[in-house]
This record gives sequence, C-alpha cells and structure tokens, in this order.
Amino acid sequence: MKHGARPDYVLRQAWLLLRGSPWLAGVSALTIALALTLVGLFASVMFNAGHLMHELGQSLTLSVYLHDTASAEEVTAVRQKLEAHAGIKKVRALTREQDRDRNKRLLSPELLQGLDEASIPGQPVLEVDIDAELASRGDVDALVKWTGALRGVQSVEDVEFGAEKLRLLFAMVEIARTIGIVLSGVLLASAMFFVFSTVRLAVFSRRDEIEIQTLVGATPGFVRLPFLVEGALQGLAGAAIAATLLGLLHLELRGLVRDVYMLNVSWSLLPPGMIAWLVIGGPAVGLAASALSVGRYLKV
Amino acid sequence: MIQLYHVHKRYTNGTDALVDVTLRVREGEFVFLTGPSGAGKSTLLRLLMVMERATDGQILIGGRNIHVLRDASIPFLRRNIGMVFQDFRLIPRRTVYENVAIALEIMGLGPKEIERRVTQLLDGLRMMHRAQAFPGDLSAGEQQRVAIARALVNEPAILLADEPTGNLDPELGHDILQLLIDVGRRGTTVLVATHDHGLVERYGMRTLVLGRGQLLEDRPRQLGARITAETGLNPLAVALTESRQHAPDAPVELDIPDEVVP
Ligand SMILES: Nc1ncnc2c1ncn2[C@@H]1O[C@H](COP(=O)(O)OP(=O)(O)OP(=O)(O)O)[C@@H](O)[C@H]1O
Ligand SMILES: [Mg+2]
Repeated sequence: MKHGARPDYVLRQAWLLLRGSPWLAGVSALTIALALTLVGLFASVMFNAGHLMHELGQSLTLSVYLHDTASAEEVTAVRQKLEAHAGIKKVRALTREQDRDRNKRLLSPELLQGLDEASIPGQPVLEVDIDAELASRGDVDALVKWTGALRGVQSVEDVEFGAEKLRLLFAMVEIARTIGIVLSGVLLASAMFFVFSTVRLAVFSRRDEIEIQTLVGATPGFVRLPFLVEGALQGLAGAAIAATLLGLLHLELRGLVRDVYMLNVSWSLLPPGMIAWLVIGGPAVGLAASALSVGRYLKV
Repeated sequence: MIQLYHVHKRYTNGTDALVDVTLRVREGEFVFLTGPSGAGKSTLLRLLMVMERATDGQILIGGRNIHVLRDASIPFLRRNIGMVFQDFRLIPRRTVYENVAIALEIMGLGPKEIERRVTQLLDGLRMMHRAQAFPGDLSAGEQQRVAIARALVNEPAILLADEPTGNLDPELGHDILQLLIDVGRRGTTVLVATHDHGLVERYGMRTLVLGRGQLLEDRPRQLGARITAETGLNPLAVALTESRQHAPDAPVELDIPDEVVP
C-alpha cells in the first residue's frame, strides 16, 4: 500500500483513535488475550499429551494367556506367529511360575500371609511388546483385530490388550482437541468482533476528518493506515496480556507439580516459540478484524 | 491551466447541472464564477477536484486530462488544488494549527517542516495568536481564514473557493476577497464561486456567468480593475512570496505522477 505516511504519525494517530473509545478497545484487547491464552493452553496441553502418549506407546503391551496344558511346541508355534507379524517388537515367554511370581509382587504382604501359594493365579503367558510407532500412527485397531483372532488358536486361552486404555486416552485427547478448537474459535471470533466494532466506531467518529484528508490529497492507504494499526495495537495488547497470563499460570502450576506431585519435570506453558506465536498472532488477529471493518466502513 | 471542452454533468437523479460548458482559465488568472443558486457553480468546482466525474466532455488541468485520470492519481492532483468550502469544513476536535497541518501531514512531511510552514502562513493571516484555539471558538471570519490557510499551506497551483464570503458580513467578505486576490497576485490561479453580484462588480475581475448549467457570459477583466494597493504591505503577500518556491511568473508544473502504484 503506497501511502507516504510517517511511522511516528501513524502510531500517534492510531493511539489517538484508541483513546477515543478506551473501554471498547480494552474489552477487545482482553477478549483477544483470553482467546490467545486459551489457544496457548490447549497448544501446550496437546503438546504434553502428545509426549505422554508417546511414552505410553513405548510400554504398549499385549498378553497372550495360554492354557496350562499347552505343550512347548504349541507355545513356540504361537510365539513364532506373533514374531512374524508386523508391528510386534519383542515377545517374552513366562512360565506359570514366573507369572505367579509376578502376580505375587502385585499383592500386599498382609494379604500374602494368609494365602496358600497355590491359590495365587499363575498361567503360562506370552508378553508382547508392540512397536510404539504403530500406536502413534493409530494403526492399533488392525492389530487388536488380528490378535483377537488368536483366541481361536487351540492353545490360547485369552488375549489381553493393554492398549485398550491407551485408545481411550486417544479418544479423550481427540475430544479435548475438538472442544479446544471450537472454544478458541468462538473466543477469537468474538475478539475479532470487538476489534471490528472499535474500529468501526473510530471510523464513524472521524468521518469529517477522513473526508478532509481525502479532499486535500491523502491517498486511501494514508487514510486507512491509522485504523489498521489501531486494530493491530489491540491485538498486540491482547498478546501481551496473554503472555503474562500464561507466564503466571506456568509459575502457579510449576509450584503445584513440584510440591504436590513431587515431580521434577521440565515443561513450560510459555516456551519462547509460544511467545513468538503470540507476538505474531495477536496483531494478526487485530489487523484482520480492523481490515474487515475498514473495508466495510471506510470508503475513500 | 484549466480548460473545459463541452463539459456536461448530469447527476444520477437526472439533473443537468452543467450543459456544454467550454472555457479556459490561464495560469495565474483570477476568475469569478457567478450565477443564481443552482446554476452549477459548485458542480464545476467539484469536477475540477474530481469529487465528481463529468458525464461528457474533456477537462484539462495543467495539460492533464482529468477526465481520464485514474482513481489512484486523484490524491496527487488534489495536492495541486486548494479548496475553500462555504461551510469551512474545519475539524472541531482539532486546533487551528492541526486543521491547517492536515494538508501537510498527508504529504508525509515531518513535524519540523510542518511547523515551519503552518506558523509562517498563520502569521501571514494574522491568525498565529489563535493557533491553539478550536474552530468552535472562532468567529466566522477567523474560521474562513483557517479554511483558506489549509487550502494554501501546501502551496497549490490552483485555489478554488466556493462562496467564501457567503457566511460573512460585507466588511469581512471584503477582507477575505482581498486576501484571495492577493493570493492570485502571487501566481496562483484562483477561481471564486459566488452568487454575490455586488461583490463581483466591485472588483472588476474576469467573470464567468453560469445559468442553469450553461455558460451565459464571459466578462473579461476590466481595465483599472481594483487590484489591491496593499501589495508588499500585506503580511500574507509577504509570507507567500517567501514560501513560494517558484516565482509568480514561472510556469507552474503540476506534480502528478504518471503512473501511481496503488
Ligand atoms: N449531488 C447531487 N445530486 C443531484 N443533483 C445535484 C447534486 N448536487 C447538485 N445538484 C443539482 O445540480 C444543480 C447545480 O447545483 P450546484 O450546487 O452546482 O449549484 P450552485 O450554482 O453551486 O448553487 P448555489 O449557489 O446554491 O450553491 C442544482 O439543480 C442542484 O440541485
Ligand atoms: Mg454552490
């Protein structure tokens, strides 16, 4: 846009426009701040959930329980069948005694005292590690189906799939993501509406000035620029507030995680990348809204 | 400087405001445009400012055919034409100084240069003591002076004034006209639209008479026309002489870029 306006002039005018309707401008900035904070929160939750799922994916396992009567050949046959399948990383065979030992460790000592050794459940089992790649690709369903078919093998008593829980988590994260996107969208839309209104008000209050500027030879770009910058400034203010909110929230949560859960993990609600996104995103939202308003109401 | 060939203007509601108007105003000329209300005086000025486009005919300003001027070039044409409106059109929220400064701000001048030029002109118009006042606190004559200052501050080649004395009492009207004639003597082409016949008679300048959109009469300037005797003493004249970059008789170049990048 060719306009010939000096940056100091444009900024000063934009500032004067903002001061013309301080309340509405404040509401706009706050709504943008809220929307950006929410977007930021969801972004980091999604990021952390992604992390979590990756880690869970590492320990994705499958237990194939065999009949007591299964012979060594039969066990080997099932084992080979498993190992031949894509997406299976490792297969470990546990005898009935090894399985019983493992189960014993899960029970509390008091309970064990009055217990007959033989009454602790134990069963020959094949522990199968599934490739984490498979889980993150969402190809788990196919595997579940395939392993379900193993139940039909004579020596197999049951197949327990650890990934059931993981799939639930996936589903929940998916729902959270949808809610987050919708909510952020709604908030962003209202933020844009407020900026739109602020700029419209500014345009109306400057009708006479706009006309005179045009008549003494201002280019359309020159006339429009302060209004566009007015919108961008509201977005910038919103981004600054959002960054502050996220920063405070981070400090609050960090204390909680450290003191209550005794976890010493490195994470941040406000990583440098996020700050960059806010600084670009805030003014971009404001600019888009003011551009809509200027396009609609500022005819030069 | 200004040429009209068979210019016709019909408003969208069907009113023929100008009918087949052909005229020519030379550089540095001072011309009255008269005629009864509704004759088309304001319309003619609006066409020159390209606030309206002619329906038919050609309009040349400084050799440029503004009939075919691209929208993007209009601002640059207007920087060469100062316009004084009957209703002043000052911005009530802005001070006298700021109202005048607008015409320079839009050209991207810095605050220092703006201050130099505005101060000089307000000085010349004996308005400097009112620089920080708001238009609402000024008398009609003072407001008209501010409006003229805004039109002149970027040293346009052409000055258009629509009923500049319409709202003023006769004495003030005379003052303002004297001012405009002084501007004309500095080399600016001046067109003054007015339906005040008495005023026109008094000065004996070239007069174009419009009636129902037609050019009825073109009275040349009378010999011995009342040209101000105050030249040289008038502070405005001095201010303008100092600020004008070209000599009064030098040809005036219009500063309109051929191709304007939108
Ligand atoms: N925007 C417009 N739309 C329609 N008709 C218009 C418009 N402006 C002016 N007219 C008509 O065009 C004719 C000329 O109007 P114009 O304002 O040019 O006259 P004028 O000589 O300036 O009159 P006055 O002395 O009252 O200012 C009039 O009949 C007027 O009603
Ligand atoms: Mg008129």
